[in-house]
Amino acid sequence: MSFRSFDIDSLDEDILAQDELFVFSNGVEITPENASNNVKTKGIEVRNQLTRGDTANALITAIESPPYGVHTIDAKDQNTKIVMDVLNSIKATDIPSLVKLLSREQQDILMKYIYRGMSSPDLYNSTVLLNWHEKLTEVAGVGCIVRVITDRKTV
Amino acid sequence: MSPTEIHQLNFGPITAHAFNKDRTQVAVCPNNNEVQIYIKAGKGWNLIHTLAEHDKLVTGIDWAPESNRLVTSSQDRNTYVWNFDTETNEWKPTLVLLRINRAATFVRWSPHENKFAVASGARVIAVCYFDEEHNWWTSKHLKKPIRSTVLSLDWHPNNVLLAAGSADFKARVFSAFIKGVDQKPPPTAWGDKLPFNTICGEFSNGSGGWIHCVAFSPSGDALAFSGHDSVISIAYPGGAIQSVGLTSLPYLSLIWTSEKNIIAAGYDFTPVLFENTNEGWKLSRVIDVGKKKVVGESTAFNMFRDWDTKGISSRSNNDDSELNTIHQNTITSIRPYSVIHGNVKQFSTSGLDGKLVIWDLESL
Repeated sequence: MSFRSFDIDSLDEDILAQDELFVFSNGVEITPENASNNVKTKGIEVRNQLTRGDTANALITAIESPPYGVHTIDAKDQNTKIVMDVLNSIKATDIPSLVKLLSREQQDILMKYIYRGMSSPDLYNSTVLLNWHEKLTEVAGVGCIVRVITDRKTV
Repeated sequence: MSPTEIHQLNFGPITAHAFNKDRTQVAVCPNNNEVQIYIKAGKGWNLIHTLAEHDKLVTGIDWAPESNRLVTSSQDRNTYVWNFDTETNEWKPTLVLLRINRAATFVRWSPHENKFAVASGARVIAVCYFDEEHNWWTSKHLKKPIRSTVLSLDWHPNNVLLAAGSADFKARVFSAFIKGVDQKPPPTAWGDKLPFNTICGEFSNGSGGWIHCVAFSPSGDALAFSGHDSVISIAYPGGAIQSVGLTSLPYLSLIWTSEKNIIAAGYDFTPVLFENTNEGWKLSRVIDVGKKKVVGESTAFNMFRDWDTKGISSRSNNDDSELNTIHQNTITSIRPYSVIHGNVKQFSTSGLDGKLVIWDLESL
């Protein structure tokens, strides 16, 4: 059965590579430096909003225009950290009303970050994330989860 | 008459189904290399023909209503056109020269029945037509810019334009104009100059996901498609697009029942109606909301009575695995069943549960 381990697609010149799939799902590539700078500015803004107690806007700013891309790994890590800080600073009782405020696109992005956070349980508190996941699924349904799984624009 | 007819034609999945013109016969594939043709007999269906020419799973069946020809596509990379021989009372296959090196995934006759299109995993769509000179069915390939398996097709009413949904996250509108077969079509909203392989539209739902199904509206001036990202989109010539994000699981098949209504169904086991209202497209209602289960009183008396009268214990009698919806598994195909003045009044669905269901829109 050794033939099964052959990567036959690599013998085909017309294969779809990872970065092409990203473009096919309407992704726009930005340089890692620009992405990191954008995330840094975003981080400062979010921290200001949090100190003012404006959690709703802090959440929206944090998840807005995520650093999508195949090479923007550092920026993604930074942005995930910002979003997790916001999620952790919001009281559990406020979650349902906040989730309802978000648009469909924002709900999808938030779900992406929840899954991203749960993929590193050593860094982020999964209990908090599971609570968010439950409340978000109640509003956005399983369709939201399906969109996160299919989307090539990962966070 | 019962509003919804339910027929269990197979205990495994039904991969494709197609009715003849007067709806007295139906061709289904019972998840193998065979095509079975059933004839209506009272309330049920009787098997009259088994077409076993393919070597692998049959992926698509279409029955041309006027010329009474069948076309079938299969994972064995072949397509057959079947003609009914009234003398021998048999269906005779004709092999089509497809020239593809991967599975054929879908097939549909064009509205005039002089062409058909075969989708395939070889990143091409084979547009097939009858070559009088050589007396066989031959094909031309729509190739660019498809980058992955084509999963579904739909013909525009003008017999020239063809919509395709693909695993590269795009729904496209092509011209499938064949010189010598087609008359020059009148200008459409999608364009007026239409040589073969013109791209008249390319749409994406934005968040990736395979495009499982595409369908032109009855006028052909709009295209609906739905992908694995649980989004259904309605696109118009020129690029305007309206997407409806769903809270439910993705759809695998959809049809337009009128210019303002779409029926879609898929992994949620139930057809759903979409409506174009003043505020745009939105989910109007779930057609099969499911019936409440009748839970019998489980008393000791009932249990012993069941043992006595039916010889069964009440536990095995009470089938808890049954779902509330009519379809017990994913719906993979929706087709119009009766069309009056361009509006679909009844439609049929089939899926992984082996059921063929005919729904009446008015009584639902």
